[in-house]
Amino acid sequence: MSAGEGGLDVPRAAGVELEGVTKSFGPNLALDGLSLDVPAGEFLVLLGPSGCGKTTVLRLVAGLEEPTRGVVRIGDQVMNGVDPKERDVAMVFQSYALYPHLSVRRNIEFPLRSRHVDARERMRLVAEVSSALQIGSLLDRKPAEISGGQRQRVALARAIVRRPRVFLMDEPLSNLDAQLRVEMRAELVELHQRLGSTILYVTHDQVEAMTMGDRIAIMNHGVLQQVDTPEKVHDRPANAFVAGFIGSPPMNILAGVVEPVTGDTAPARSPTPADRSVGGTDAGALVSVGMPGGSIPLGGPLAEAVLSRGLASVIVGVRPEHVSIDPAGSLAASVTLVESLGHERHVVCRLEAGQLVVARLAAREAVPRTGERVSLSFSAEHLQLFEPDTEARIDV
Amino acid sequence: MSDTRRRRRLGEAALGYVFVLPALAVFGVFVFYPLVKTFVLGFYRTPPFPNLPSHFVGLSQYGSVLTSPAFLDSLWRTVLFVLFTVPLGIALGVALALLAHQRLAGIRIFRTIFSSTVATSVAVASVIFYTLLNPEVGLLSYWLGGRGGAGILQSPTLALPAVSVVTIWQNLGFVFILMSAALQSIPDDLMDAARVDGSSMWYRFWHVTLPLLSPTVFFAVVVGTIGSFQAFGQIDLLTQGGPNNHTDVLIYSLYQQAFVFNNTGVAAVMSVLLFAILLLLTAVQFRFFERRVFYGR
Repeated sequence: MSAGEGGLDVPRAAGVELEGVTKSFGPNLALDGLSLDVPAGEFLVLLGPSGCGKTTVLRLVAGLEEPTRGVVRIGDQVMNGVDPKERDVAMVFQSYALYPHLSVRRNIEFPLRSRHVDARERMRLVAEVSSALQIGSLLDRKPAEISGGQRQRVALARAIVRRPRVFLMDEPLSNLDAQLRVEMRAELVELHQRLGSTILYVTHDQVEAMTMGDRIAIMNHGVLQQVDTPEKVHDRPANAFVAGFIGSPPMNILAGVVEPVTGDTAPARSPTPADRSVGGTDAGALVSVGMPGGSIPLGGPLAEAVLSRGLASVIVGVRPEHVSIDPAGSLAASVTLVESLGHERHVVCRLEAGQLVVARLAAREAVPRTGERVSLSFSAEHLQLFEPDTEARIDV
Repeated sequence: MSDTRRRRRLGEAALGYVFVLPALAVFGVFVFYPLVKTFVLGFYRTPPFPNLPSHFVGLSQYGSVLTSPAFLDSLWRTVLFVLFTVPLGIALGVALALLAHQRLAGIRIFRTIFSSTVATSVAVASVIFYTLLNPEVGLLSYWLGGRGGAGILQSPTLALPAVSVVTIWQNLGFVFILMSAALQSIPDDLMDAARVDGSSMWYRFWHVTLPLLSPTVFFAVVVGTIGSFQAFGQIDLLTQGGPNNHTDVLIYSLYQQAFVFNNTGVAAVMSVLLFAILLLLTAVQFRFFERRVFYGR
């Protein structure tokens, strides 16, 4: 397999497949039986907290690490034991990893020179990629003489210049300031559309993941939690971890005990007629999830799901936009912090059990003061439930 | 107001000088005074017998030393010795450092072994090699096929290379530690990037590793050159300049002039010349090689 085959002008995206990949570093398990199929041309974002194994996935695909068990394929070819230079992938590092002693031009040329591309072709390719990334005027400078954003572009140019089959990007935007990060996000998405290449993109920033990825793979402790489109991951998280990781601010996750609700103690915010119709007229189908300071009432289908599974306790997930501060609310809390973002406010409340719940209010809504005792109510139709033991989503 | 401030500043300066004084005194007695005295000694011809007055001869003694075949031969042997020891020593040090940089089980043991000669004195190194090279009982002599024959240290062609090998061996630990530290300061990301960028191990060494090691290599060349020009212990212990002056390097013949022949005038001239040569050589190294050195980011 040679890098030059197929011509450098032809987009040569290849799919990436990991099959039951386990990687351990001594006693530490970095990846545990990971299977992931990335079709050619997809922009897949690997998302997770630091140390979840997402960078290890990139290094395994790049060939910088070998899997302890399992198979890595690029374009249907098994890559186990294949040297990085034979894999025809390009990697953009968080640190950019520019060669400090070489000019920008020589940095971009490095992969071409390594592959003995002749001088005229090198000139042409560098000119092409540097004009596309608007770094044509920097070619004779050293990396130390250009800004962080420019270094980022040079690192990208070095990856793009040889049209690899797969791009691997390891938190490439995390060293940029906020504004530049938003700009580069859009540019990367555009670049992906133009090149049609396969991109594996690692980030711990869920906003980046949501805005850039065709699909998002969420990882935790070396285990893949969910792979799906940004919408699906947001609206139907596979488990409580995903639910609590996605969204800004993320979903509130509250565990409680399942309690039957009798007519007299019906929750202040009673289920809608639609809920009642699914749950039936039987008052026993209405339950609430109790915790210190009150409870969260569950409407028809949710209550049904809890009862049919015979759960004694359950985890409730509710997004901040579906929590409101309501004198008639069902759960007592005290306000610990109000964050104003201009167009909206995040009210951080502490429950009696000590847990924090975030409510997202429009800027025009009245906001309680810090320290004030409030009641919270929850939009019944937007609640999500998770198993208490496995934290897996309960589909209703 | 400003007067008190000035007085205070003066007081502070005086205190500063008081702190510097001990170091200045030590340097003065042991460095500056001998330095000046050496220059002065070179202007006087040492009398043939002690207790006779020495004659001021000006620069003529410099001329006679510079044109004497003994000095020029000795200088040439010193240059050969430097050329044997410095490039080879640094190349070996870099090679060992690269080997020990691998992430392998038990590599720490090798690191310790490779750096161990730094804790070995010249005398110890010389005695070890003296024994190894002994024509009667030496293991190295035996392996090299010289059992019973003429010893390596007694051979006119092999004595200087043999002394060079001892010197390289003795300096290896220091060079290894220098190069290991420099290698560790190269970010792993750079080497990973170069691997993914499709470069071979050889290409990576020449185009990434070596340029980033260049400040350390340059330092090792400068310090190593000065060190080799001043090598004395191993020569004195192994060959005493022999056989037939074939290992009679500058410092050794200087030592003989001063302490065997008691010709302090000539010895002083030789020290000044050695000083001048080293100064010139170091300047040349900075002028011509430093431009190939890449300092930091």
